[in-house]
Amino acid sequence: MLELLNVNPSSGDPIYRQLSEQIVRLIVGGQLQQQQVLPSVRQIAEHLTVNPMTVSRAIQLLVEQGWLERRRGQPTRVAAREESETTSGAQLLVPQVEALIAQATQLGVSVEELQDVIAKVWHK
Amino acid sequence: MDHNEQPILAFQHLSKQFDDQLAINDLSMALYPGMVVGLLGQNGAGKSTLMRCALGIVDVSQGQVSLLGESSGELSSKVKERLGYVPQQPFGYEGFTVEKALQLHRSFYPDWDIKLEQDWLARFELEGKKQVQRLSVGQRQSLALIMAMAYRPKLLILDEPVASLDPIARREFMSDLFDLALDSGSAVLFSSHITSDLERVASHLALMKKGKLVIFKEIDRVREEIRLITLKANQSLPNELLVLNQLGEQLLVDNYHEGIAPLCDAVASVNLEQLFMELHR
Repeated sequence: MLELLNVNPSSGDPIYRQLSEQIVRLIVGGQLQQQQVLPSVRQIAEHLTVNPMTVSRAIQLLVEQGWLERRRGQPTRVAAREESETTSGAQLLVPQVEALIAQATQLGVSVEELQDVIAKVWHK
Repeated sequence: MDHNEQPILAFQHLSKQFDDQLAINDLSMALYPGMVVGLLGQNGAGKSTLMRCALGIVDVSQGQVSLLGESSGELSSKVKERLGYVPQQPFGYEGFTVEKALQLHRSFYPDWDIKLEQDWLARFELEGKKQVQRLSVGQRQSLALIMAMAYRPKLLILDEPVASLDPIARREFMSDLFDLALDSGSAVLFSSHITSDLERVASHLALMKKGKLVIFKEIDRVREEIRLITLKANQSLPNELLVLNQLGEQLLVDNYHEGIAPLCDAVASVNLEQLFMELHR
């Protein structure tokens, strides 16, 4: 799975957040299966050439949020999830949509106009 | 990070005066095991002087520097054996071959790891039979890195260590730094102008401007708490914000959080390179 991960150190976003958001997208998108074992912190850090503490922090955050699970003496795995708590990919985009709506409001763009633009760009 | 343990390197209210110039101005900072601190600043900001003060190469004018519990001016050989330093322009061992130079250097360090040395010689493609003075700048730097790291020092100080290395060697070298910091519980202080490297490698950023330490915090917090903002008209500056620089309406601030957003007309995050530029405009 290492090849699915990448970070951009020169973006303004903290690397641990880029990484944790990416792993969530891979889980929701089905590229990471439930109970799949993750590479070690060291392997991920080496692959991305980032400080292992940064990787630990991303993993820790996902464990706290329930995306990953870690049991004593075992590698980190993707957590098993109830059918009812499955998140849809679209739900993950809420923050980006909120930012988009804020900009649209400033520009005086209506919801219909915005949907229209999204549809047009989507099908382009 | 647990800071109950003793710092590996601690500066306390350090100042250094050269004739009429204050090179370091009341600087305090502590490095604990596992920390990789990237030191950033313009030429002349005081980075190299800070490193030399840390090692006791130059005297301090005021304040204190302690290394592994000892004052930097009076280091015992026990502590010296656990320090590694690579200056901007490595020197010494002219007239020796790489092999002979390493042989002599190794004899000073009881904890020398010969396998590590051999691995790195092969990786940097250094030939043992070559004369040290005939090495290229990059090779000379590689040799200096081997000499400073093969005994897994507790404190490693690197002044522009990677500038002359090619990108692949740089990447591999950075992984070695992590191994050193995490496996051996060492601390690393390194200066670099290559901000993208610094963003990847460092756990903490230390930014100096004209002898002062302007920023010292975890690199992830730098990205979250430093912003370029424009306050709304008639909005006074919230107390918790620390202004790092002001450019007309735009403020470069530290300690930013979500609660500040409603008070602003514009908020922009900055990467290290932008931060560096904005701070010095």
